[in-house]
Amino acid sequence: MFLLGSTYGAAEPGGNGDATRDMQCGGACHGDAALNETSTASLQFSSSETVYAGIPTTLTLTATNLSLSSTGVVGFFLLTDTTGHSDTPRDAGWEVLSDSNGGAVNYLEQTLVNGQTETSVSWVVRAADIGSTQFYAALHHGGSSTPFFGVTPTAFEVSVREVPENLPRLAADFTPQSKRILDVPTEVLLQTEHTDAVLIQWKADGGALMSAEVNSTGDGTWSAQLPAALQPTTLQWRAVLQGEGPEQTTPWFTLSAEEAGWEVDELAVYFQAVALLFLLAGTILALQSRFMLQDDASKYDQTSSLLEGVSPEHMTPNPDSNEDSDLAPLPEGGLPDGWNEDQWRWYGHDYVAGKYGGGPE
Amino acid sequence: MTSSETFHVVSTELVVGSFSVSGLSFVFCLFLHLGWLKKDDWKPLFDHVAHFTLAFGLIATPFAILSGLSSAPGDGLGSPLLVNKMLLSMTGMGFAIGVFVSRFRLGKKVWQTGKSTVVHGIAGIAACESMLLTASIGGTFTRGESLLDAFQLPYDDVLLFPLAISGTALILGVGMLVLGWLRTSPPSSVH
Repeated sequence: MFLLGSTYGAAEPGGNGDATRDMQCGGACHGDAALNETSTASLQFSSSETVYAGIPTTLTLTATNLSLSSTGVVGFFLLTDTTGHSDTPRDAGWEVLSDSNGGAVNYLEQTLVNGQTETSVSWVVRAADIGSTQFYAALHHGGSSTPFFGVTPTAFEVSVREVPENLPRLAADFTPQSKRILDVPTEVLLQTEHTDAVLIQWKADGGALMSAEVNSTGDGTWSAQLPAALQPTTLQWRAVLQGEGPEQTTPWFTLSAEEAGWEVDELAVYFQAVALLFLLAGTILALQSRFMLQDDASKYDQTSSLLEGVSPEHMTPNPDSNEDSDLAPLPEGGLPDGWNEDQWRWYGHDYVAGKYGGGPE
Repeated sequence: MTSSETFHVVSTELVVGSFSVSGLSFVFCLFLHLGWLKKDDWKPLFDHVAHFTLAFGLIATPFAILSGLSSAPGDGLGSPLLVNKMLLSMTGMGFAIGVFVSRFRLGKKVWQTGKSTVVHGIAGIAACESMLLTASIGGTFTRGESLLDAFQLPYDDVLLFPLAISGTALILGVGMLVLGWLRTSPPSSVH
């Protein structure tokens, strides 16, 4: 009854994980006007003043006056409209290259400590085309048994200009690595254009700014080695590009360390699990049915019930039923070769009569 | 509204609780029917408790498995612990279904002979043990520790058969289940 009475809902008080999501978040109750309440939080965007087509830039979202549930989980969306569908940056021709959580998605979650009312998240994005794009931000969080929803009241407009000639820059198809494996040093590979020298800087969470040695492999490709992570933490790095044009500094790219993934053939697992279920269930039922058949066969033997109440002194041997008298006389030398006593008991007369195995010679 | 994580906790508590009572009752059934415990009036009591709780656990198990899959972090079976949980829970279900169907088809005759008593009792206890091991792996997965850690069980090792062997086992299992079901059919009036 308890199971039947439970509602199997889609609410995720512990968060739903970073992902590429639209504002309605797959129909979650946060996005349902009939269920949600408006968050008291204020959302504020910021970015660099000049944004060039094909060159990554950072969009930073600062949330203040947050009042969260006891879990402290809050989710932030980077959107390009507020219709609730086809509203991700990708839908407007923007590519999310990196986010502050170490991924490359438009929806980020954070867990704030009790009493924390302010936080910020950032995305490194890149537009392929010149033009103007309106960005919005939304947030989902819990409260006193009610899902809360908030959205920026006005759009944050980003104008994308044509990139100046000879401006040192990352290659248009450069995609930064966002994940790395624990305990393994990471080699960062950069593809650049109009660049003569590269300096790579990195910093760990709360650490000092460090520089990495950069090697050129020719054709505008550069590599640098970042130290291995011993724990699943994040590291940020950026490149300072020098060339004929003005020096350029890329946005901070986030690199998160995680344990090496574990993979298994899921089809084989599910198949084996089902096979085990049927094999064990079948074995037990087959064994029990076999035991019952043996038991049923013995119940047709009525000897014991017939002998009930008959005392042993009233049971006398039948003089005509002497088994030994029914046996065929053994040939001289005993049983024929290859015969045993049981065979002789049944087929001995045939043997003596010459009907079986040629009879006695 | 209930999250899949919470629903998984609720359903696993129901499964573990009912299977634990069932396993304990099967131990008593085994002792009683093998004559190690001389209390004839306890036989029907533990027989009913063992099978009722087993049936309840069986009903709750699919909910636990499905909610466990939907609440697991990431996509699919990303950890050997999750794979072992899946295999052990289905093993427990297999034992439990075999025991329950045997009892349903044969009635109290499952306790009639020494052999059938041993098979029935051991299978019931094995179903319980499989579910407790599954729960222990769940504890290790979420909290990093479990009460059964003292035994240093190889939760990180996965014994995965090739598809051909699993397929053969599946065919054998279905065959034996059908054969067992037909053999335990009540005799016709002509018979």
